[in-house]
Amino acid sequence: MITPYFVIIPLAAAFLIPLVSKRKTGPAVLLSLASTFALVVLSGYAFFGRSGETLVYRMSGWKLPVGINLVQDAFSSFMLVMVSLIALTSLVFSPRYIDRLGGDAKYYSLFMVLVAGMNGVVVTGDLFNLFVFMEIAILAALALVAYGGRAHEFEAAFKYAVMASVSASLILIGIAVAYSATSSLGLATISRGLERQSPILVLWVGGLFMAGFGLKTAAMPFHAWLPDAHSSAPAPISAMLSGVLIKALGVYVLIRFFYNVLGAPPLFLQIFLVLGAVSIILGVLLAIGQWDIKRLLAYHSISQIGYILLAMGLDTTLGMIGAVYHMLNHAVFKSLLFYNAGALETALGTRDLREMGNVSKLLPVTSGTSLIASLSISGVPPFNGFFSKLVIIIAAVQAGQPLFAFVAVVGSLLTLASFLKVQKFGLRGGRPVERLIGEVDGGMKTAMILLAALCLVTSLLIVPGIRETTIDPVVKVIMEKTGHAQIVLEK
Amino acid sequence: MIVQTALLVGLVLFSVLAIVLRDLLKAAISLAVASLLLGIVFFRMNAPYAGVFEISVVAGLITVLFILTIALTNAGEEVRESRIVRWVFPLFFLAFIVIDALVMKGLLQKIPALPSAPEIGTFGDVLWKGRTLDLVGQIAVILAGVFAVLALFRKRDKHD
Repeated sequence: MITPYFVIIPLAAAFLIPLVSKRKTGPAVLLSLASTFALVVLSGYAFFGRSGETLVYRMSGWKLPVGINLVQDAFSSFMLVMVSLIALTSLVFSPRYIDRLGGDAKYYSLFMVLVAGMNGVVVTGDLFNLFVFMEIAILAALALVAYGGRAHEFEAAFKYAVMASVSASLILIGIAVAYSATSSLGLATISRGLERQSPILVLWVGGLFMAGFGLKTAAMPFHAWLPDAHSSAPAPISAMLSGVLIKALGVYVLIRFFYNVLGAPPLFLQIFLVLGAVSIILGVLLAIGQWDIKRLLAYHSISQIGYILLAMGLDTTLGMIGAVYHMLNHAVFKSLLFYNAGALETALGTRDLREMGNVSKLLPVTSGTSLIASLSISGVPPFNGFFSKLVIIIAAVQAGQPLFAFVAVVGSLLTLASFLKVQKFGLRGGRPVERLIGEVDGGMKTAMILLAALCLVTSLLIVPGIRETTIDPVVKVIMEKTGHAQIVLEK
Repeated sequence: MIVQTALLVGLVLFSVLAIVLRDLLKAAISLAVASLLLGIVFFRMNAPYAGVFEISVVAGLITVLFILTIALTNAGEEVRESRIVRWVFPLFFLAFIVIDALVMKGLLQKIPALPSAPEIGTFGDVLWKGRTLDLVGQIAVILAGVFAVLALFRKRDKHD
């Protein structure tokens, strides 16, 4: 059984890193890279080799109502592939950047704890266990946001900590209500138990989880912490936070809970539709006004998460294909954009777009990959963002929601406008920059090129033959709704 | 019933005090009293383990850490708080109490009382065997906390 290794490997690496590297960071980098690479291989095997299967692993051999079980289906494997891929590129990007911040091996330990927490959330089939892993990931994320050690970074981490504890309290109350109603903590058994309960109770549990995990997702009314936290963190961590953390802890759990546990109650899906639409428009409007490049990107995360929520609120197979596909695409291009911002910050010593200039001669890799990422996020063909947004818009029209389709189109145009601003002020326009104060090293370039290539490669997932083996199994698991509980219980 | 209500009212009162008191030492002690009361509530509700942990760890250990930290740091430097904070909390608290009074009773009646779970073993059995992964998770949480403290208080070059 491979499922527990997705938690064991990163956790063991986190323990080992301080032991193998006392002063130098070399061994820490190697160990974390090796374990993340192992995770990429394992998750790739799980996703492509065992696709369509639902693996259930019982911790200590206890059966469901009592013990904790790990459940790995196509959806979990998909998330694992995404987390491992972005984590790998983030680690490749990190060494030089973190050295500049006076970093040491503890950064890599915290990074691996973060990965362990996210993987744990994705593979666990137990509600309370999910909460524990969520706390692990959040604690590591908090420390990493403040890693630079300057006052505003601590302030952002503190703000994040307050919001995280509010959401943790809401989620914990939700777990308590679900537990008191069903006497069990397994997601599958809760799903079975809640079917027999009054609708008011389902409403209450759903409401608490929606607010709790909504805060983690940073959709519009719950977004206040995100721009600070994601812009203050070191660039590779911003990429992890915006690229995968808000998805593994937020979107993944929302989809898993509202589809596979509650069976997609229409009222909540309506709310997701509206939240998504509001996030798309307001997120991008707030982004356009920003001059700090990382802050601008952080606001775009809110907007892009809006697309995913809107698509999952449609409750159609095509909508879900759009949501899952956009989740992957956003992870790829948003991480790349944060790496670009990190490289620019290293080379120019500023994050303010007004102080930047034309760097396309001096930093060809950074400006080239940034163009690709900007076109992807704005939905320009042939890059991946175009296809997932197209699927979402078509799905909205098919579901009889032309207004939401219109919102998605407008959001996309505004995104294009704001990234033209980034390109004009930050990379291509203005007077040429003559001297760089820092060097963009090979690791950074490798990470950026890797993700830029992925921006093109992932657009192939829309080809029917490839889609059938990649996205379709994931969507099948989600659209089974509460039938999924049956499959888990029978294993 | 009266004792229970008094305990709960005291719990809320001391929790509020812990937030509104300007003196950090008094705030820390109010928090300790609040968690002591919570511990007693746990005992009265037949959850002795939760009560023991609450009183020993939250009321005891954490209070000691708080008071130690307050004693070791300079009391002279006052950090200015923005005015908004002073009236936002009471406002939210009042709103919460009102909503609580209006909604909670109706909602709570909808939830069936927790049926007594079948005896599957002692507390230790359940904790160590049934929920092993949660314990591993807790260890990881502590580990993350240790790394966080070490990383954030590391010696660093002046980079800014």
